[in-house]
Amino acid sequence: MPDWKKLVREHIASSALPAASREEVVSELAAHLEEAYEAALLQGLTEKAAVEFTLQEVNDWHALAARIHRARSEENPMNNRTRSLWLPAMANLIVAPGWLMILQKLAVQPRVLWIGDMAMVLYLPWLITLPIFGAFGAFLAKRAHARFVNRLIVGLSPALAVLGAFALILPVSLVVDQHRLTNFPFAYFALTIFNWVVLPALALLIGTLPFLRETNTLARTEA
Amino acid sequence: MTQRIRSKIARGSGELAILSLLAEQPLYGFEIAKQIEERTGGALKFTLASLYPLLYDMEKRGWVEGRWQANSAGRDRRYYRLTPGGRRQLAPLRAEWRTFFQALDSLAGVSHA
Repeated sequence: MPDWKKLVREHIASSALPAASREEVVSELAAHLEEAYEAALLQGLTEKAAVEFTLQEVNDWHALAARIHRARSEENPMNNRTRSLWLPAMANLIVAPGWLMILQKLAVQPRVLWIGDMAMVLYLPWLITLPIFGAFGAFLAKRAHARFVNRLIVGLSPALAVLGAFALILPVSLVVDQHRLTNFPFAYFALTIFNWVVLPALALLIGTLPFLRETNTLARTEA
Repeated sequence: MTQRIRSKIARGSGELAILSLLAEQPLYGFEIAKQIEERTGGALKFTLASLYPLLYDMEKRGWVEGRWQANSAGRDRRYYRLTPGGRRQLAPLRAEWRTFFQALDSLAGVSHA
């Protein structure tokens, strides 16, 4: 059987659609061609004739790519990236820190670890439950047909947001507090990043992993 | 000009056909094309090239909504369902086409089924 997905991808490669949206279109059109091909075989056509019959579904791929681009990109109230990346990430960014705030309101005591003279405040109940939020975000992204990278970003979004905040804090802190690079507490900063970025990211990743697997259209249409 | 009118008629009839089908049940692209062909005895036929730009456009206008889910064979397909906005479009579209056929009938004796 021809690789319909490859064929469609090659033909609409010139489309200016965003990559995620284009991939969704490729999956959908390839699935259509696959079924048309199978229907032709069921009617008794030879494989070669069935392929030729199926290819008649599209006379002008260039024109089709342009029409699809127009239909999917203009005045779209919610584009694919919003649906598959920003909204799930936003949801995850609300629920994961929200759960930490609830734990704090419930007076769940953090564990304080001393590393030399530096204190590391660990909210273990929060860290333990973070895989659920990683899974939650990645599930939402996968449901919106997000590609692999976007599912990963959404799953890890609470940790990535903190990393982004720290990336801002470092230069601002250097300027506002008039720190010199020589006396900036890099060790403490690194420990904080480990505590609030690396550990949560690892926990989130555990929940995200099951949703990174490609299970859908690609494997099936190429089977 | 003739081509433009023909294109508009094709587009309008396509929208009505798709909305009518989806008012009954959610369907994915291939099923929509197949059912339209079967139920019109082959008089209306959608190819991939004519169907998907129309579906995407209707989705953009909020008339239909596409969502991936497994079909009966366990394959992921993008099922389209009618939105409340699409449902509201259906009655005026039907009325428009009824008027159109009546007008054509009174002018040219073309009776619709």
